[in-house]
Amino acid sequence: MSAVSAAVTIRTIRLGWAYMLLNMRTVFRQPAAVLFVLLFPILFLVIFSSLLTFEIGLPPEAEGNVPAIKFSQYFVAGITASAIFGTSFNLLGTSLAFQQFDGTLKQLAATPLPKASFFIGLVGTALAYTIMQMVIMIALGVAAYGIELPDAGGWLTLIWIILLGVPAGCVLGIAITRVMPSANAAPAVIQLPFIILQFISGVFFTLASLPTWLQWVSGLFPLRWLAQGLRSVFLPDAYRFAEPGMSWQLELAAVVLAVWIVAGLGLAVLTFQWDRSG
Amino acid sequence: MAISIRGVTKRYGSVTAVDEVDLEIESGQVYALLGPNGAGKTTLVEILEGYRQRDTGDVSVLGMDPQRQRNELNRRVGIVLQRSTPMEGVTPREMLDFTAKLYDAPMSTNEALDLVGLAEQANQRGSKLSGGQKRRLDLAISVIGNPDLIFLDEPTTGFDATARRQAWEIVRGLTARGATVILTTHYLDEAEHLSQRIGLIKDGRIIYEGDIAGLRSEMESDTRISWQLPPGFDLSDLPHEWAALKAGADGRLSLPTQQPTAHLARLIDWAGTRGLEEIPELQVERPDLEEMYLELIDNSEPLEQARSQ
Repeated sequence: MSAVSAAVTIRTIRLGWAYMLLNMRTVFRQPAAVLFVLLFPILFLVIFSSLLTFEIGLPPEAEGNVPAIKFSQYFVAGITASAIFGTSFNLLGTSLAFQQFDGTLKQLAATPLPKASFFIGLVGTALAYTIMQMVIMIALGVAAYGIELPDAGGWLTLIWIILLGVPAGCVLGIAITRVMPSANAAPAVIQLPFIILQFISGVFFTLASLPTWLQWVSGLFPLRWLAQGLRSVFLPDAYRFAEPGMSWQLELAAVVLAVWIVAGLGLAVLTFQWDRSG
Repeated sequence: MAISIRGVTKRYGSVTAVDEVDLEIESGQVYALLGPNGAGKTTLVEILEGYRQRDTGDVSVLGMDPQRQRNELNRRVGIVLQRSTPMEGVTPREMLDFTAKLYDAPMSTNEALDLVGLAEQANQRGSKLSGGQKRRLDLAISVIGNPDLIFLDEPTTGFDATARRQAWEIVRGLTARGATVILTTHYLDEAEHLSQRIGLIKDGRIIYEGDIAGLRSEMESDTRISWQLPPGFDLSDLPHEWAALKAGADGRLSLPTQQPTAHLARLIDWAGTRGLEEIPELQVERPDLEEMYLELIDNSEPLEQARSQ
């Protein structure tokens, strides 16, 4: 790398960082956004866990004498995955749509902020929020819902799942702004696919309880793989037998997420609009 | 030249928003693009700024093509949009601190705040600023990078008289720093107070180009004779040299002229030969600049006729 392009790269990252800090302020100072993004998954966790108290047993293939777990324990992993994907997908999709329609981004486009820095800032914002949220949710899961803190391998899995899940959610959140007819429609346009995905991706129901074709459908989207990956982190290993493939399928999860990042990035770059205010 | 464009055209479907415009703007000038709403000012300016792609023509802004070198251009240009929203929850100081980082040789945040008179509100959230204060923030954002060229798109639309005066003072302060300023406005007095040269734009074409004094002398030398055609007469009954006149919306014919006495004599003569005792609604007046401007943007043809006579 030449000295010039190194300087350009450093500048791009430095400005991306600066934009992230600015952007985080705007999100943090909007109570509605904080509520939606940070508190919703936590509320869901508390409500669902108190409603759904049944236990999940293991299929006969499971070896050894593994005690049944409560659904709430299964649900912590699912809703945490949902938080990872939702924070990036919802947060970016909604706030970007508002900024496209009210001219905020038009003004930004008049500055020499590199486009790459802008996107780095967005992804960085989502990452920072996700990490905050993970701390809260894992603490809650451990304190209230029988989750055990992962071992070293588990932490590593958690980290790469976050590092793949957040960008996947971000690029899809950016891409979906293209189909929003107005800023007011943004929350609805975002929520619809997100809610459906939550129902079919093993968040609200176990994957095994879904018909096979729905399991296949959910397998096409990122959320299911995030949830499955997090279960590998937070549930006893024997519970891999409760998964459709009798395995956590982490390699497949990584591949699906990576494909989504690449495809979503292409889509986001091709369809992104700085200004829809006119 | 700060800006040099030739044959620029932009169409939207069957509407030609900018029609074969040529324009040269010297460095260090304040240039006003003046015209009514929908005349094509904003489209033209957004082509110069790089927001819109032209259909045809050549554009050079600070020696660069905004369509292909926008990123580079953005480092040297400040833009105040017609409408903008400050980032929610961010204070002017935070916004300006961030913006300053984007430029090579910015002024300090405090300097920018002082320049637009926003020092007192520096730490208020954007959503708590008044309309005028938001506009000042826009100005500060656009100039903090010490741009060579500043675009101001209708900077005072919606302001009351006092706020406009204050805004003008700020803009003068900016121009004192030596930047070229392109101002779009539909207020003649704004162009008069701020700019050295104006381009009058209507239906996507520039119909007058020059300094405001030239516009004034050209316009004010025109006396206007107007009257109503009596019932039973139509335009073809008039003397041949007036055949190009058109009736306005109120049905009046209006003749701008530098020889009002001669034209009036002909008109009275004509009425006499047709046996008319009175010419309905006959008026001879010297309109002021504002009136002429309003008429001009309402119907650009009289000026062109007057000029060709």
